[in-house]
Amino acid sequence: MKRRASRTFVYVSLALVAVWLVGPFVWLFVTSVSYQRNLLTRPLAFVPPEVTLDNYRMVLGMMRFHAEGQAAKILPSMLNSMIVAAAVTIVNLIVGTTAGYAYARFRVPLKTLSLFALLFTRMLPTVVLIPAYFLLFKALGLQNTLTGLVLAYCSFTLPFTIWIMKAYFETIPADLDKSALVDGCNRLQAYYRVVIPVSGPGLVAGGAFTFMLCWNEFIVAQILNTKLGTTTLPPVIAGMNGQINIDYSVIAASGFLSALPAVLLVLAFQKYMVQGLTAGSVKG
Amino acid sequence: MSERSFASLLILPAVVVICFVVVFPLAYSLWMSFADVNLLRTTGPALELLGIRIPLFRYVGLQNYVRLLADPLYWDSFWRTAYFVAAFVVETLVAGLGMALVLHERFLGRPMMRSLLLIPWSLSRVVVGLLWIGILDVEFGALNGLLYKAGLIDGYVSFLKSGFSALNVLVSVYMWNQAPFATLLLLAGMQSIPLELYMAAEVDGAGYWQRLRHVTLPALRGILFLVLVVSTVNGFLMLDLIYILTMGGPGNETTTISWLGFQTAFQFFKFGPGTAILYTLTALCLVLTVVYHKLVFRRLEADEIG
Repeated sequence: MKRRASRTFVYVSLALVAVWLVGPFVWLFVTSVSYQRNLLTRPLAFVPPEVTLDNYRMVLGMMRFHAEGQAAKILPSMLNSMIVAAAVTIVNLIVGTTAGYAYARFRVPLKTLSLFALLFTRMLPTVVLIPAYFLLFKALGLQNTLTGLVLAYCSFTLPFTIWIMKAYFETIPADLDKSALVDGCNRLQAYYRVVIPVSGPGLVAGGAFTFMLCWNEFIVAQILNTKLGTTTLPPVIAGMNGQINIDYSVIAASGFLSALPAVLLVLAFQKYMVQGLTAGSVKG
Repeated sequence: MSERSFASLLILPAVVVICFVVVFPLAYSLWMSFADVNLLRTTGPALELLGIRIPLFRYVGLQNYVRLLADPLYWDSFWRTAYFVAAFVVETLVAGLGMALVLHERFLGRPMMRSLLLIPWSLSRVVVGLLWIGILDVEFGALNGLLYKAGLIDGYVSFLKSGFSALNVLVSVYMWNQAPFATLLLLAGMQSIPLELYMAAEVDGAGYWQRLRHVTLPALRGILFLVLVVSTVNGFLMLDLIYILTMGGPGNETTTISWLGFQTAFQFFKFGPGTAILYTLTALCLVLTVVYHKLVFRRLEADEIG
């Protein structure tokens, strides 16, 4: 009897947790396929009486409406987001992975101090760097360019990648590198011919996490890239949100579209990401 | 090549990138916090470096900091930030642990439930803000719709209109976004608690709450402390949700230090005072890094997560 009661309690709690975690996201989808007028009725119908794809059509420029100028920015900015996130991910996977390997295997000069500095960089408010980027990029002609964003995004992604990769390489036995050396590889070959090919899970964890951070970044892009056509998706959506004449249902559609790539990426690679991030958080 | 120089070679690219995108900008921002930065007059003293000209502006010593510490708005934001961080940390710990305890139970579809944890966490804060507007809005919010239907309210409530309620909404929305990661860490910790400990406790006649108090929580002490430190930092840094949901308002009632710094630097374009405000935040983060560093290098190294 007591056992059954506690099972019921577990399932009720589970249902609550599930609703708490996905309810808001599901509701975003529901509003994105609803007409605004149905969202405004009282009492509110939680199952939409009419389902429509009009909001998506407006966002994707397939249907004319009064704020189409604003909506027309979405697809180009999505492409910009994609380019920036992909470029930062590639830089991180090359530069960060190599450094992570060095920290995992060798006595790097100033190891303790530099690891501390990396940890500090991880916890640093990125916004404190933006005034400097603002003036530096202006001097370098990188203002309103995607290259500028790629550089700025390395500041908060690279420390994480190094940390995740360091934790990952520590799980690969050092004997593997040693036997590669015995087989006639030099140290560099042992790294990229023997260690890298067995590091798929770590690379996936570091890469997917970097991509997600860049895809979602808002403040840096909002401040540095203000010229039309140079910014990424989050500032465009935030800009729509600030406009009183755009229906929430349309904003919801653009929000859902922007969320989808990151959510799918994370769900696809969840096993590696959870392992990589847990190890990266709790290991020194 | 010696092992040491090979290792140096491997970290060299990362060092170069970090110097360029972190170390130098950090130093330059620090300099600006001691300067009278006029963005329209960049002709004064400058640093010539590799053919580019980086304006240094007029050095004013501690003036920006002195004015800051005399500004009641800064102290209001300071105490508001303290409240925000405290509430956020408590909510994250309670919800993170609560969800971990529920998801640690054996049940059908457990892996799928764990995947759900990743949804709030993988959304950009812009989307997090947007979707909570859909729930809390005074005209079309689903929570208003629900409460109205249940007869608990007579008219729709504006959750973001009064300052204190808006601040608490920010805390909870941020917690919704961040607590799942705490849950993931705690679940990983729970999995590595030896089952024998639970069996022994059961033999001794310990019930669920006793096992929680005497076995689970002591074993998770390190991870709980880690979550505490990380969420403290995240609480201090939170900025994008404020931008989407309240813009620091109504009035200044959701203006935290990070929002005040952002506003001063990028809405009023006062880089000197702005960087000074943001540097007080950076100093706090440095202190917390020391704590985190001690934690990951000493206490968690051997135990807890294998």
